[in-house]
Amino acid sequence: MRYAFYIGCTVPVKALKYEVSTRNLAKGLGIELVDIPEFGCCGYPVKSMDMFAALLMSARNLALAEEKGMDIIGICIGCMATLSEAKKYLEDDNLRNTINQKLRELGIREYTGKVNIKHLARFLYEDYGLSSIKEKIIKPLESLKFGVHYGCHYMKPGHAYDYFDNPSKPVTLDILTDITGAKTIDYQNKNQCCGLTIMGTAKDLSFRLASEKLVCLSGIDIDAMLLACPSCCIAYENNQRLVGEKTGKKFNLPVLYFTQVIGLAIGLDEKDLGFEFNRVRADRIIEKLGPY
Amino acid sequence: MQNGFFDFEKEGLKYCYYCGKCSSGCEVNRLESSFQPHRILYLLNIGMTDSVIGGDDIWKCTTCFTCSERCPQGVKVTEIIWFARTMAVKSGHLPELIMHQKETLLRTGRLHHISHIDNNKRGKVKLPQLTDASSLISEIFKMTKGDE
Ligand code: SF4
Ligand code: SF4
Repeated sequence: MRYAFYIGCTVPVKALKYEVSTRNLAKGLGIELVDIPEFGCCGYPVKSMDMFAALLMSARNLALAEEKGMDIIGICIGCMATLSEAKKYLEDDNLRNTINQKLRELGIREYTGKVNIKHLARFLYEDYGLSSIKEKIIKPLESLKFGVHYGCHYMKPGHAYDYFDNPSKPVTLDILTDITGAKTIDYQNKNQCCGLTIMGTAKDLSFRLASEKLVCLSGIDIDAMLLACPSCCIAYENNQRLVGEKTGKKFNLPVLYFTQVIGLAIGLDEKDLGFEFNRVRADRIIEKLGPY
Repeated sequence: MQNGFFDFEKEGLKYCYYCGKCSSGCEVNRLESSFQPHRILYLLNIGMTDSVIGGDDIWKCTTCFTCSERCPQGVKVTEIIWFARTMAVKSGHLPELIMHQKETLLRTGRLHHISHIDNNKRGKVKLPQLTDASSLISEIFKMTKGDE
């Protein structure tokens, strides 16, 4: 199982615990993630500047993966939505031909439409298989309870993702977490957006969106919020204190990536899962699990 | 615009019948009632494009796609707002953050520049070293005239 690892711009700078835990989880599960240094930005930020340039940037990444004969696995939902949407746009022959002409000018052969793109969580759910994960679980997390945050781009736009999960009531990340033995809970504003994408253009709205979910989850008996995107994590964890200050609240809610949680369940050490980078200390969770 | 590959029509603008289902499911609308995606579509449909691309509303959208999923007419609301942003940027209405992001993207090929400090931190936990991808995006912007 060899896949082109699409790391994106945000993970390697702002989400080291996600990157470390992803690489070690993949190793532990026997999934080979190949680094492609030529990969560039997915195009998401450029969509607000020049949609055609953004599509060209997405297409370039798809063409590079195709050239290497590998499907793409990524861990940022923004990147995955952008690349998946580009794949759908490029099913149009006319548009693909025009883009390919431009790609040749950039020294890249062409994109023919062969590459599949999946978020690691979706890949685990659909391809690796829940039963195969279950076989590797040696430390069930029965004492832990999580509130899952999907993030809008995890399953939307639905058409770009072939509706692998329900766009308004997603379940796959909960099911993936349940496999570890941990419990997941439903909560009132589960589908609410983290607001990070408008941090720079509508700050107040952005903080209020993040704050509402933190308020809701802080009032429920859970050990941590669980998520699958570096941007959501910035909104809820890196900015947790700031969000509290701006909205007159005080939070102390640990935030974990699904890779850290599954990693614990297959017996990986917390050091190999980037726990040292957790801004809101998650020691209580490790203590609760007890010595291995 | 842009070889005609992206435009409001292709994303279904004219099929909007202003039922407001997009707005009633929008979280930004819930927090700020004057923000209404169906109003943006209405203004675009009656040709008031300038007031849309000159205003702040398009920059309040989180691009969450909830509206696009809810629309009974299959209008790609989020994409339309995105395209309005593209038009805004091209006509010089660009918020400070976008200007800053554009500058970083053109200079480094990434949304976040990789510094020595970043690479040191990465090295300590045995992650591969990374470099900026300088000229790529400026080349792409030149091709699509996005650098104008
Ligand atoms: S939901 Fe669709 S048809 Fe209804 S107002 Fe919004 S865009 Fe128009
Ligand atoms: S994509 Fe924008 S307009 Fe549509 S529901 Fe989300 S925030 Fe509202």
